[in-house]
Formats: sequence, C-alpha cells, structure tokens
Amino acid sequence: MTDLLELAIAGLMSGLVIGLAALAVTLVFGIARFANAATGDTMTLGAYATLGGTAATGSLIAGGAIGILAGAAAGVIAYATVFRKLERRSPVAALLASIGVGFVIRAGLGLVYGHGQQVFQLPLVRPWRVWGIRIQPTDLEIAAAALATLAAVFLILHATPIGRQMRAVADDPDLARVSGIAPRRVMIALWALAGGVAAVAGCLLGIKTVVAPEMGWDMLLPAFAAAILGGIGHPVGAVVAGVLLGIAQETATPWVGFTYKIALSFAVLLLVLLVRPRGLFGRIEGVR
Amino acid sequence: MDAYLIAIAIVTGIYVLMALGLNLQYGLTGLINFGHVGFFCVGAYAAAILASRGWPAAATFPIAAAVAVAAAWPLGLVSLRLRDDYFAIVSLGFSEVVRLVATSERWLTNGVQGIAGIPRLFADLSGTTQALAVLALLLVLNGLAILAMRRIVASPFGRMIEAIRDNEEAVRALGKDPARFKIQVLMLGAALAGVSGAVYAHYIGFIAPEQFVPLVTFQIWMAIVMGGVGRVSGALVGSGLLMLFLEGSRFLRDLLPFVSEVEMASVRIGVVGLALILFTLYRPQGLMGDFTRR
Repeated sequence: MTDLLELAIAGLMSGLVIGLAALAVTLVFGIARFANAATGDTMTLGAYATLGGTAATGSLIAGGAIGILAGAAAGVIAYATVFRKLERRSPVAALLASIGVGFVIRAGLGLVYGHGQQVFQLPLVRPWRVWGIRIQPTDLEIAAAALATLAAVFLILHATPIGRQMRAVADDPDLARVSGIAPRRVMIALWALAGGVAAVAGCLLGIKTVVAPEMGWDMLLPAFAAAILGGIGHPVGAVVAGVLLGIAQETATPWVGFTYKIALSFAVLLLVLLVRPRGLFGRIEGVR
Repeated sequence: MDAYLIAIAIVTGIYVLMALGLNLQYGLTGLINFGHVGFFCVGAYAAAILASRGWPAAATFPIAAAVAVAAAWPLGLVSLRLRDDYFAIVSLGFSEVVRLVATSERWLTNGVQGIAGIPRLFADLSGTTQALAVLALLLVLNGLAILAMRRIVASPFGRMIEAIRDNEEAVRALGKDPARFKIQVLMLGAALAGVSGAVYAHYIGFIAPEQFVPLVTFQIWMAIVMGGVGRVSGALVGSGLLMLFLEGSRFLRDLLPFVSEVEMASVRIGVVGLALILFTLYRPQGLMGDFTRR
C-alpha cells in the first residue's frame, strides 16, 4: 500500500509536468487552432536555458526566470517567423511546420550542448517520512513551482485584459475581431505565455530527471494525450488530465513495466478519441 | 566506386518505395500520416524474424506487407474518422509504440541489441552481381508501385480519394463514406512501407529499434514536400534530394574534420526541420508540384 502511495506521489509529480506541457499545447490549440509539435522541444530549450542561467547566476530561481524568458522568446520568434504566415492556411500546414520548428530548436541545442545528459547540481536531501511514506523535499518544491505557474497562468487568463482577449479569440475569432480586439497582440501574448509554460515544464522535468536533447520530444505524446483528454482548448482540463495521466502511468508501472508506461498515454489517447473525443471538459462544438 | 554508387541507388530505392506510400496517403488523399516509420519497422521486423528462421525471401516479402497492412487496419478503423490533426498525433504515437514493442519484447525482437545476420537477398550471387540483383528487384518493385499508382489515379477510386483531399464535406454530402476510402489508402501505403522495410532488413542485414525513430518519418515527409505533393515524379525527385543530402552531409564531414559526428547529426536534424518549414511556407506544392492548384 505504501509502495502504491509512493508511486502515486511520483505520478503526481510527473503529472504536474505533463499537465504544464498539456497546458502549453491546449493554449495554442485553443487560440491558434493547431497542434503545436514544437512544444516538446520548447520544453527542452527551457531546461537547457535554466541550466545555463543557473550556472551563470548561481541561483536556481534566476536560472528559472532565464529559462522562462528563453521559452517565451522562442514561442514569439516561432510565431513571428513561421506561424503568423500560416494563419490563413490549413492547420495541417502549421502542424507540419511546427515539427520543423521543433527540429530546428533541437538541432540548435544539440550543436551548443552536445548530446550527452546533464543534471542540475542540487544538494541531496534526506527524504521525509510521513506515516511511513517517503517524501522528497525537492518534490514539494517542484510541486510548489508547478502550482505557482498554474496560478499565474490562470490569473493572466482570467484577471487581465489580455487574458480576457485571449479567451475571446479562443471562443470566436471573428466576433473577437469585430469587437475591436487586435489579433496580433493577442497572438504574441499567447505564444509568449505558451512558450513560458512549456519552459517551466521542461525545467521541472530536468530537475526531476536529467536534461537531454530528446527529453521534451519524448513528453510530446503524453502532453497531446492530456490536452485531448482534458478537452482541447480547456486549460483546467489539460492540467487535471495531465495529473490523472501521470498518476495512471506511475501506478501502472508494477503491472505493465517501465517501458510500456509511455504506451499508456497512447492507449488513453485512443480511448478518449473513440469514446469521448471532446474530452472530459471540452465542448461539443470544439470537435468535428 | 561502382559498389558505392549501387549501394546509394539501393538505399534511394528503399526511400522511394516509402515515399510513394506516403505520397499516396498525403499527396493524393490528404492523410497526415506521422507514423510512416512504424509500418516500415513492422515490415522490417516481420521479414527479419522470418528470414532468420529460414523462411525464403519469396515468403518474407508478402508477409511483411501483410503484417504492415494488418497493423494499419485497426489504426485506421479507430482513428480515421477523426479530424486530420488528431490522426497525425495518433499515428505518431503508433510509430512510437511500435518502437517500444520492438525494444521490450526481447523474445521476439532481441530488444535493443536488434536482429543481426539477416540473410541477404540473392545470396548465391556474389559481389557486384548480387548488389545489382537487389537494385533490379527494387526497380521492379518501384515500377510496379508507380504503375499501380497511375492506375489508381485514373480510376474512380483515385478520383474519390482526391475528392476527399480537396473537400471531404462535399464527398460526405454525396453519400460516400470518406473514412472507408481513407482506411484503404492507409493500408495500401502501409503495404509499400512494409515491403520497403523488408528490402531494408534483407539489404542492411541488421535491424535495431534505434533505426526506426520518428526522424525517418519526417525525412520521408521532407522528401515528398520538397519533391512535390501528389506527384509520382515528386516522390522520385524528393527521395533523390534526400539521399543527396544525407550522403552529402557525410562527405562534408570528411572534408570538415573539426565537425564531430554528433554535431553533424544535429545539423542533419536542423536541415530536415528547415526544409519542412521553408517548403511549407514558400513552396507548398514542392519542386515538381501541380501549380494549377494550391
């Protein structure tokens, strides 16, 4: 039982990372209306930038801020150079181009940092024991950082004018335009937000595991699965689904083995698309 | 030198066979198949496993195609009724799961070590003659595939799948079920990828899961996006360009000794990415594409 609980806690941790990645996917999917396959590599970029920033400044917090800025900048640059020009084309063109954007980011990181794995040099801390369950203090910090990021995103979406405009564009782009919302500003804010969120996800994943060029790409499938499970364009749904998926993956490990836990997100993806394509929280009109 | 050129031609032929399959799926029907390497992998493993147990090539080829088709059928059945971009994600996931299975099921696939010593084709011939025979076989296979493609384009089935690509709603309004045709197209394309995988396994003689990463899928995408979507000539030209780029980067590395192999691998990924971006942005119909429509 305690084993299962410890697995569930591990699942919660990876679930928060998946949830953040899925949030980045679903924001873009809801507003720019395509599946952004560059999300994974933006995560990797955030992790490497945080690593570099931490080494340069000596503070993980400052490093994290640099990572977020790098992710946001990558998002805005990708929008300005590629996705803005594809707005009037089919979502397929943008999807294909986003694969290309991801490859370019990964190539750049590979050239600069090589293909080896790197780790965050954090002091080792003895785990706490609460009723016989081992809890890592770093896990609590990671969870706190993830929750703070979520709070910030929801604050931006619901309590600021630009967030209100984003939600309006997500609801009905044409209506938003005739209401006097400038689409360009909204899109730039969206890409900065999505890039920043992806960077946080990558940075937390890097702290929890290792930093490697393929780390973000490997998270893409779980992130897509969670975004679809939560209902496309539904930020709360994406996070809840991410956490559920993370817990399911970890607690299933004793039965399906370590390698197949990635396949679980594929199974979930198929099942959701078959049974309830609008996801847990999505609206019917969001899916055709 | 001759041997090298023949080897290049053989690998190009393997790519062309895959590109023809993807061209049928994406170019003619509009299917966003991001898991093409999955079918290639299934075909390669089917051929390798059977050939290592003494089955003749005459049997491994059809079985490789059949196994790839058998993998495509349920995938198409569950996911081709969905939106295009959902199918893209599902097919990408499919190819990753195929690779996971190849990595984990050691009793069947020998895990990460892979399968070595796969019998070569035409083993009783020697040296250049053997390589030429493989090349001839590939030419025949590609010729058959191109002939079949031409027949399909000219047939009612071909008009139907092109109509699905251009306007699925209209096809549905005419009382046809687009999903049925899409599933058939997915299976046909998978068969080509499966056969291509079988040739690959027999020719290279060694397969391992790491050879079947999504990058392969997107190299083929790059080939057909560059060459021209929906054109047989596009698949040929694109595969040629792809091969030129892959081999060229190898030569470049020999000329530039300060560039490490790891860095070159990154450069290759970057070039594939740039090609996907630039062609999607500025030349969506590719080099040999149909300029009369977009």
